[in-house]
Parts: sequence; C-alpha cells; structure tokens
Amino acid sequence: MNRLVTVAEMTLRELLRRRGVLLLLLLMPLTFYLIRRDAYLGQSVRSLLLGVGWAVSTAALFATTAARELEPRLRLAGYRPHHLYLGRMLGLWTVGLVISVPFFLLPMIDGADLRYGGLAAALLCSVAVAAPFGMLIGALLPRELEGTLLLLTVVTVQMLIDPAGSGARLTPFWSSREIATWTVDNTDQGYLSRGLLHGLVVTALLALGVAAVASVRLRRRRHLRHLPVG
Amino acid sequence: MNADDWLRTLTAELHQRRVAADAARHVVAEAATHLREGGGDPWIVFGPPQQYAGAVVESIGTAPGPRPGPVRLHAAGITKRYGRRTVLRDATLTVRAGQIAAVVGANGCGKSTFLRICAGLMSPDAGEVTVSGRLGYCPQSGGTADFLLADEHFVLVGAGQGVARGPARRAGRAAARQLGWEAGGDVQARQLSGGTRQKLNLTMSTLSAPDVLLLDEPYQGFDQGTYVNFWDQLSRMRDAGTAIVVVTHLLNQLDRVDIVLDLTPAHETGRHAPGVQGGRP
Repeated sequence: MNRLVTVAEMTLRELLRRRGVLLLLLLMPLTFYLIRRDAYLGQSVRSLLLGVGWAVSTAALFATTAARELEPRLRLAGYRPHHLYLGRMLGLWTVGLVISVPFFLLPMIDGADLRYGGLAAALLCSVAVAAPFGMLIGALLPRELEGTLLLLTVVTVQMLIDPAGSGARLTPFWSSREIATWTVDNTDQGYLSRGLLHGLVVTALLALGVAAVASVRLRRRRHLRHLPVG
Repeated sequence: MNADDWLRTLTAELHQRRVAADAARHVVAEAATHLREGGGDPWIVFGPPQQYAGAVVESIGTAPGPRPGPVRLHAAGITKRYGRRTVLRDATLTVRAGQIAAVVGANGCGKSTFLRICAGLMSPDAGEVTVSGRLGYCPQSGGTADFLLADEHFVLVGAGQGVARGPARRAGRAAARQLGWEAGGDVQARQLSGGTRQKLNLTMSTLSAPDVLLLDEPYQGFDQGTYVNFWDQLSRMRDAGTAIVVVTHLLNQLDRVDIVLDLTPAHETGRHAPGVQGGRP
C-alpha cells in the first residue's frame, strides 16, 4: 500500500510542478465551455465535459511517457507492475478531481439551471475514463506526438459523431455525454443509468488494458534466474 | 587543483590501488609535511597524484585484496539479434562478490544491450543469467524524473524496498556525499547539470545496497574529482563484497578492475570470439 501511495504522491507532485501544463489543463475546458456559451446550454456543458476528459487524458499520456525510463528501474527497486500503474492512475484521478472542482462551480456561478448531481456524476465519469485512457495510449505509443494526435482524433470523433447512433457507444466519453443530457435536458433516468454503466465498464476495460500492457512490458524475463544470497 | 585537493586525490588513488591503509596514511602525511615545509605546487614537486600513487605502489607494493566470494552474477551464452544483425554472440561473464568487471568494446558492439539483458530489462535470443541477491542498475542516461527533487527520488526508490521516508532520504544523501554532492535542496532533477543528474542516477542504483550492481557508463559529465570519487566508491563497494559490472570505454581504468569482458566482434579484433574474459588476476 505504501508503494502505491508513494507512486501516486510522486505523480501528483510532478504534475503540480508543471505549472504550464496545469494552466492549460484549466484553460482547455474553460475555452470549450465559453465557446458554446451563447448557444444551447447543453452543448456548452457537453463541451466542458469533453474538455475535462481531453485535458486529463493528455496529462495521463504525458505522465506515462515521462515515466517510461524510470519504471524499469523502479521495478528492480522492488515495485510490482500494479504498484506502478495503479499508483499513477490514482495520482491522475486525484489531479482530475481537483481540476473538476472549478468546472463544477462554473455553470453554478454562470447561473445555469441544471441537475448539479448529474454534472458531478458526468465529471466523475470523464475523469475516471480519461486517466486510464491517456495511460493506455501512452503505454502503447512511445512518442508523445503520436499519442497526442491519436487523442485529438478520438476527441474530434467524440465531438462530431451522432450520440444517438450505435457507433457513439464505442467512443470512450459517451458516458459523460449521456449523463449530461440527463443533467441539462431533464430526460428520463435511463440516460443516467446508461451513462454510469458505460462509464464504469469503459473505465474497467481501459484499466485492464493498462494492466495488461504494463505487466507485459515490466514482466520478469524468463532468462533471468534470481537466487537468494548464499 | 590546490595542495589539499592534490592530497585528497592522492589518498583516493592509494586507496583504489589497495595500498595498505597505514602505509597510505604515512605516505600522505609525509607528502603533506613536505609541501607545508617546502612549499611549492604539488604538481611540480610530486607530479600528477595518479602518477605519484603509481610510483608509491611500485615502491611499497599493495595490500592483498580480499578473496573474491561466491558467484553473484553468471551470464552464459548471451546472444542477441536486432533483425538480421547479431549484436551479441555467445557472450559469457561470471562475477563474484568483491569483484569489479568492466564490459568494453567498440561503439554499437552491444555493451548496453548486454547490461540490460543482465538486469532483466530485455530478453536475449539465447542464453541465461543467474543473479544471487539484490540487483541494482544505473542506466547510461534517463532513469530520473524531471520534476522531482533528489530527496523525492530517494523516497521513491526507498519505498520499493519498504524503507521509510526519513531513512531513505538520509541514505540517499549519504550515498550522494560519497560522490562529493550535497543532495538536499529544492532543485528539481531537470535543473541539475548533466554530471549532477548522473550522480543522482548513480546514487539511486546504490541506494538499495545491491549485491550485484550494473552500471552503464555512469560517469558521463563527471568532473575529474567526481570521477576519482566514483572509482573510490566502487572500490569500497567491492571491498564490502558487492559484485560490480561497469560498461566503460575508458581503457585507462582497466587496471582497476578484476575482469574485462571485451564485446568487440571477432572480425574487428582478430580474436576467436567476443566475450573473452581477462583482466587483472
């Protein structure tokens, strides 16, 4: 447990020291919200949620890429793969929750009439999905540029795809969009349930993906035999 | 280099060359007295400290080193190919407790690959590695986190071994001091100079008190004093029973190691096969 918490803490410390990144993390959802503010409120809130998801995914991608060289030596220092990826995920979720607070308050200050419990749930889903999503891309693509371009593609698809179409459910942030509809348009409970279930399943699948890639990359190699000191 | 620095370097050189402690103290005290009473630049009076230490060794000999202990690292028949190119062919190395092995060879001959295979960070196409005890590894570069302080690196590595924060920080600072670096302070790794960052890298690898220590050209960016401290620290660790493998291209250090593994391909050296072991008996 101490190892997990230490990795989470160091992830948090690293991200908090990247002031430029933090500023952009906050700026991005704000821009997404403001750019749609004059139009329909639902679009504005959905953009805000997508902005939070994109920002946390990007932070996760960069944190994973930055740790690529360090992780093998931490493995030798006594960490198991799950300490490393779960600790990092925990740190990223914490950062995501912290940056979500001002964006939960933003529509409130703006006087938006919506279900705030739904907004909180949608933000939670965005953050929950975004951390393992960015980590998985970072684990699969070793270069930040490639990872960023893939993230950009996914978010653009998410933004442009018809949410009612069956293909939309395959996009990672569909859950927060569905919950946002319940939040803004006062639709039936089905939107909330579907959204929460989708968020839960996608988060679990992405976390499993991260676990699989990390376990392969940081596995004990078969050619190496460890003996106790004789 | 002033007289004090010169004397310090001489002390380290005598220690590395395994001159008996009493004799080394006596030589240094005599040199200090001579310099104090006669004055003058030690470089002119005695010459370079390495050269003077060499002359002392020739004159009074060295103390017998501790007998090598049990085998700590045994790499046998290591072969590695990248596509059609074979970078390592049947390389073999055995290092015992209390020995330093140098892995040498031309650029691109697979020195770092060999070390990464020994560390278990990469799989060979053939061959096996057996390690007894705890393994420490220092990469050639990278291996640190840009936005963390040195103390945080020590805490992170320490937590892997279940060491509490305070002791991990203290152990890290003490190990850094051996390299002439005061590691405390609010400086992030990215703000350290190349040499100091490499000291952090090296300190992290020794922090867990490894039984087998693998170092991939760890002295890049070191100044002369740090370089002397580095070999001094390796000698101390060897004497304490650690088995050390250093990838190096600085052939002038080979007289300080016990085993040499030359990975230069056979067609470049005229030898029968790469992976020949030799070095100081």
